[in-house]
Amino acid sequence: MKRGLAVFVILATAVLLAAGWLHAGGLKIRAERSGSTPEEAVRALMASIQARDWDQAYSRLDHTSDVPKADFVREIAGSDGSLRTYSTLQSFDIWPVHASADQAVLRVRLNWSSAVGSLAEVRDLQVVRNGDVWNVVWPKPNFAKIPLHVLPVNYLRWDVVGRRSDEWGTAAVDSPRVRILSMNAVERPDRVVIVGEVENEDTVPAYLNITAALLKPDGSVLAQQDSFDVISHSLLPKQVSPYRIDFPSARLSQVKSVRIDAHPLLVPASADPVISVENQSVSKDALGRTILKGALVNQSGQIVNIAQVLAVFYDAGGKAIWVSDGYVDQALYPQGPVPFAVDIPTDIAERMHDYHVVVNHYTAPSA
Amino acid sequence: MLLRILTSFCGLSFALLGAHSAAQEPAITAPKNVTAGTPFAISVVGQGKGTLYLFGPTQAIKREIEFGKDTPIAGSEASSAGIYQITVCAADCVTKVVEVQPAAPARLGFLLHPSRVPVSTPNAVNGTAIAFDQYNNIVITPSEITFRIAASGEKISEKTVRTVRGVAAFQMDSRPNQGTLEVTASLATASEPRVIQQVASEACGLRMTAAPSGATITLQTDPIRDCKGNPLPDGTIVSFIKVDGAGKSTVDTPIKKDRAIAQFSVSGPARISVACGVVLGNEITWGGR
Amino acid sequence: MPLPGPRLRVVLFTVVGAVSVAAVLSIVLAFAAPTLPRVSLSADSLAPRPIEQRTGEVVSHDYAQAWQDLALCLEENRTDLLDDYFTGEVKRRLAQRVRAQKASNLRTRYSDGGHKVKAVFYSADGGEMQLEDEAQLEVRVFDGDKLISTSTAKQKYLVLMTPGSDRWYVRFLQSVGDNAF
Repeated sequence: MKRGLAVFVILATAVLLAAGWLHAGGLKIRAERSGSTPEEAVRALMASIQARDWDQAYSRLDHTSDVPKADFVREIAGSDGSLRTYSTLQSFDIWPVHASADQAVLRVRLNWSSAVGSLAEVRDLQVVRNGDVWNVVWPKPNFAKIPLHVLPVNYLRWDVVGRRSDEWGTAAVDSPRVRILSMNAVERPDRVVIVGEVENEDTVPAYLNITAALLKPDGSVLAQQDSFDVISHSLLPKQVSPYRIDFPSARLSQVKSVRIDAHPLLVPASADPVISVENQSVSKDALGRTILKGALVNQSGQIVNIAQVLAVFYDAGGKAIWVSDGYVDQALYPQGPVPFAVDIPTDIAERMHDYHVVVNHYTAPSA
Repeated sequence: MLLRILTSFCGLSFALLGAHSAAQEPAITAPKNVTAGTPFAISVVGQGKGTLYLFGPTQAIKREIEFGKDTPIAGSEASSAGIYQITVCAADCVTKVVEVQPAAPARLGFLLHPSRVPVSTPNAVNGTAIAFDQYNNIVITPSEITFRIAASGEKISEKTVRTVRGVAAFQMDSRPNQGTLEVTASLATASEPRVIQQVASEACGLRMTAAPSGATITLQTDPIRDCKGNPLPDGTIVSFIKVDGAGKSTVDTPIKKDRAIAQFSVSGPARISVACGVVLGNEITWGGR
Repeated sequence: MPLPGPRLRVVLFTVVGAVSVAAVLSIVLAFAAPTLPRVSLSADSLAPRPIEQRTGEVVSHDYAQAWQDLALCLEENRTDLLDDYFTGEVKRRLAQRVRAQKASNLRTRYSDGGHKVKAVFYSADGGEMQLEDEAQLEVRVFDGDKLISTSTAKQKYLVLMTPGSDRWYVRFLQSVGDNAF
């Protein structure tokens, strides 16, 4: 009797455990970890990256390509306070491109969840068969090798000194003078978008935000939004930035006029770093989307941790018709080019005549 | 006879009643207007005691007083200019109004805008001065405010403006040369200096030259000045744009010691342009016919 | 008991319906937000800067809002209401007045009959605007629950307003005599 009860309890426990494992997707996870097909191999690699299990991920690679583990982890996990270091792989999609008995190429779209929103990355991965197991051939990361040297950086810096007086009518300093150069309301399928450019006309740096209100025919406010991060907030003297303000769910037919305000603040700033935007061109990416791509080169001596690219697109008449933005999830090392790409909506790409790119950046304060 | 007695009795009753009412309603004696900060006195005719209420811009005083005697109101209780209400209550309440007028001007509020003004711009500089007394009341009676204007490298000039409702304002063109512009507003013993900067206007005649250096090309602008010859301040952003077979390349670089410098790598013929704000400079065609 | 006739029923229903509607309306009005005082702004001879239409609308609205807050703060002896549309010297003075009222259990009730406002100065940079206000006010003063004075008169004010980030603030509000303007 006692023995029968013990056997029953053990069997029941085993059944319950198995049910729990199945319910938790145990079969799927096992398939992901097996690598018995090219897709499974890539899936297994992505699952390891998602779990931030770098040892497991590195073990999925084909080691004939001789990628050092440190380089692989540095490329995938990010370094030096780049945006990638604050990101996690949210999800991934895999498509076969072509396959043979021993080799295959698969296209992977990685959807990263970052501190500034979701970032997508598309890679074509080669997979090779080693016996019964397929392994991913990871391309050797091409980190820029800058020879050790001294780079003098003597760009101007502005500081705001003195105490602001609360008493009205006493000496004070005006906020920077900025001018909205253009404003254009654009209707998209699911929103109204205000795009344009703003210039810091002053001789001091400005920290800037732009707000806009859509007004109904009766003059009341339909919606109010600000430029959030689709603007280069810190503008040096005579610097021009594009801006974009999104109004979800609004239609242009509801709007009689737009009220737009710039809000500049006097802030300390530095003219360093200078970032050049090189070899910009419009092309199609691996998914067939129209993109503006190029490379950012940090011409200063400090690492730029996070860079954001803002691109304004003009029609043949020189009117700003769209502003795209995108974050670069790699840090910008001094003198080393880092690729970037921003999407261009198809209809905008057809009407676009010219474009201009501006780089927004964040550099962590040095100790 | 009875009717006469009744009528007399009624008349006497009414007279007594009127006299009694008159005795209950206090009569306030107070000046019609006083200067801010000056003590004054009010008196209430009659006998007995009552409650004094004084309401002003900053005051709400409640005090027990004796009728028939002067009740002092301290200068500190009437320092804010405006209309004061004095109410005295015994059985009934009576109200009188006193106007407290601003004292002599003793302080100036002076705003001079903008802090940084482009040179040679008509009516670009504007100043507004407001006359206050020592209690922060706006002095409405007209006064003469003198604005002493000192621009760097120029003779000092003066402008006198009469206040209207306490406010005096002026406008002037910014000077042709960059530098400080100091304006001092004076009224009686009060004096307020303000300094603003006259800065270069937009770039004028923006030009760059190109020189090869190996696989790159170095671009350098001539000293960047406005149309009056004032150099644009260091830190002003200049944009260089290169278009060649590899695509478009741009760099925003700040002016250093009056010039802006950039370097590009070139592959084949290139078209290079320069801009500062909304001002376009010359264009260079490199490596082509 | 026999039912009332058709005509009487119609009359009864009408009376009950009217009373219900009136009751609902009075409840709604009792809880509805107080309307702003009426402000009519004229700027015909404004100098040195002309006023933009939008600025005029905002100044009128914000000045009316300031008076509504002033009336509430002096009646309820609250200083928190001064934060939205008052700044600088006038805010300090009104706060002092409220504290003094509170200390002596006094209240002031304003019934605002409207303001006839003339804009007389607008600085070239748009940083200051001076107004002359002829206000129709009924002012009642209470000591506890006892009404001690009522005055209904036109009161003149000299006003200085300055722009903030999203509104205009009253910076100076000085009552003046009849001869001031």
